[in-house]
Amino acid sequence: MNCPICKEPMIILELNRVEIDYCPVCSGIWLDEGELELLYSIDNTESELKKLFRESSDSKEKSFKCPVCRKKMIKIRFNNTELIIDKCPVNHGLWFNKGELEKVLSAKTNQSSQKVLSLLKEMFSYNKSQEAE
Amino acid sequence: MWELIQSNRRKSLILFFGMGALLILIGYVFGSYYDPEAGGVVGVFFAIVLWVILSALSYFAGSKILLAVSGAKEVTKDVHPQLYNVVEEMKIAAGVPFFPKIYIIDDPAPNAFATGVKPENSAIAVTSGLLSTLNRYELQGVVAHEMSHIVNRDILLMTFAGVMLGVITIMSDIFFRGMYFGGGSRYRSRSSSKSSGQAQVIVMILAIILAILGPVLAQLFYFAISRKREYLADASAARLTRYPEGLANALEKIANSTHKLRSANKVTAPMYIVNPLKREGMKLADLTSTHPPISERIKILRALQQGVSYNDYQRVFEMIHGKKEKIIPDSVLKESIAVTPVIGLTNEDKDFNPIEARREANDAVMKLNDYNFINCKCGVKIKIPPDYNKPIVVCPRCGTRHQLR
Ligand SMILES: [Zn+2]
Ligand SMILES: [Zn+2]
Ligand SMILES: [Zn+2]
Repeated sequence: MNCPICKEPMIILELNRVEIDYCPVCSGIWLDEGELELLYSIDNTESELKKLFRESSDSKEKSFKCPVCRKKMIKIRFNNTELIIDKCPVNHGLWFNKGELEKVLSAKTNQSSQKVLSLLKEMFSYNKSQEAE
Repeated sequence: MWELIQSNRRKSLILFFGMGALLILIGYVFGSYYDPEAGGVVGVFFAIVLWVILSALSYFAGSKILLAVSGAKEVTKDVHPQLYNVVEEMKIAAGVPFFPKIYIIDDPAPNAFATGVKPENSAIAVTSGLLSTLNRYELQGVVAHEMSHIVNRDILLMTFAGVMLGVITIMSDIFFRGMYFGGGSRYRSRSSSKSSGQAQVIVMILAIILAILGPVLAQLFYFAISRKREYLADASAARLTRYPEGLANALEKIANSTHKLRSANKVTAPMYIVNPLKREGMKLADLTSTHPPISERIKILRALQQGVSYNDYQRVFEMIHGKKEKIIPDSVLKESIAVTPVIGLTNEDKDFNPIEARREANDAVMKLNDYNFINCKCGVKIKIPPDYNKPIVVCPRCGTRHQLR
């Protein structure tokens, strides 16, 4: 699968049973529809994440193609914030630019997303330390 | 064992020749429709040649073609250790001297089949969907069922009969397509006498009837051939695993899956443990089905409470069917020894984790597609696609730079 932005092949990272597609060039993250479900089924908590997204038609951001089906992804606004995320129109998954997933997860406070957030922090701890320097 | 193969084969052969007669009839009538004088012979010739070629092809390369058409890829132990171990266990339990090749099909719909006209070069293929939905005991049941098809030498006859079913279906398709594009009529206009015109009409009606009913009849023949073999393989699987509930649960999960097998077609469908071509909301599906109804297979397996020998299966089969019918050959029943089922196993495999099973199945598919797996010492598993063209990959967790080949 190629990164929707750089068009370069993405690598897959797995830690503590969670799997994400990751672009080593732009640090973007692709979350498969099934993967998102898995992330939230860890605690058996119903995914409320999806309810927080509203379609945003006024976005000026450049649109990208879904890496699975090549259809033009739609822009969705997260919980009335400035955060805009790309979503496949036929639900193959969500695309997060560098740092976006973290912001989404830190906005929610339920246990499940806390877990996912700390997991992501773990997974990218080296990248974080590099940025700090 | 040979007895088991022989006695089952006799009745099957009669049905097999019946199916052959149907093929010849269809060839003759379709040919006559196109050309009343010489067409019949040409049609029969065409039908037989098509069947012989496809049969020869499936005898010598059938496994390879079937596996290729299904998109199956051969796997080694490290691709999916559990599947490999289960096949090994069932091979030992069945006492077969050869090791079947193991294939995985990348498809979310759970299903499986066995192939190979000679047991020495047989193969068992399962979908990734099967691996991600079944626990160990259920997988054992499915593999034991397929192993039984190999041991009972079912595959040769089922392959030839399956090809015949395919040829009849193809001929009926060609006929309808030809009629749609106006074939046949140019010959009819040539004949001048009234009586031959009438004969033409009769041939045409007969041809249309055969084109509609031919595939249905062929399927009934095929069903009659495969039916006992499916039951027998279920009986063998119950005996081999000594845990009929495993196969029963597996069949239930396969039947209840909402996924459709992408690679399945009319010719390959009968080879699978559960017919992958489900026709929703159609009662006719039962009539033209190539498999015994799953609900009945499950009911029999679940009723095997006291014992799982061939004798028990025969008894329970008659009890559920409500009438006498030999489903297991006499010679086998005579030698049938009591086998007690394993008790104490719960329906659920205690260690079974659906998320993990799915991950393992996905990993297996990635390994088949030449992904490079790196286990970083920090605990992150990095899976690198074959088209990744940089010489190194940096672990985002610990910063280790992994050199790639
Ligand atoms: Zn990128
Ligand atoms: Zn898509
Ligand atoms: Zn690492």
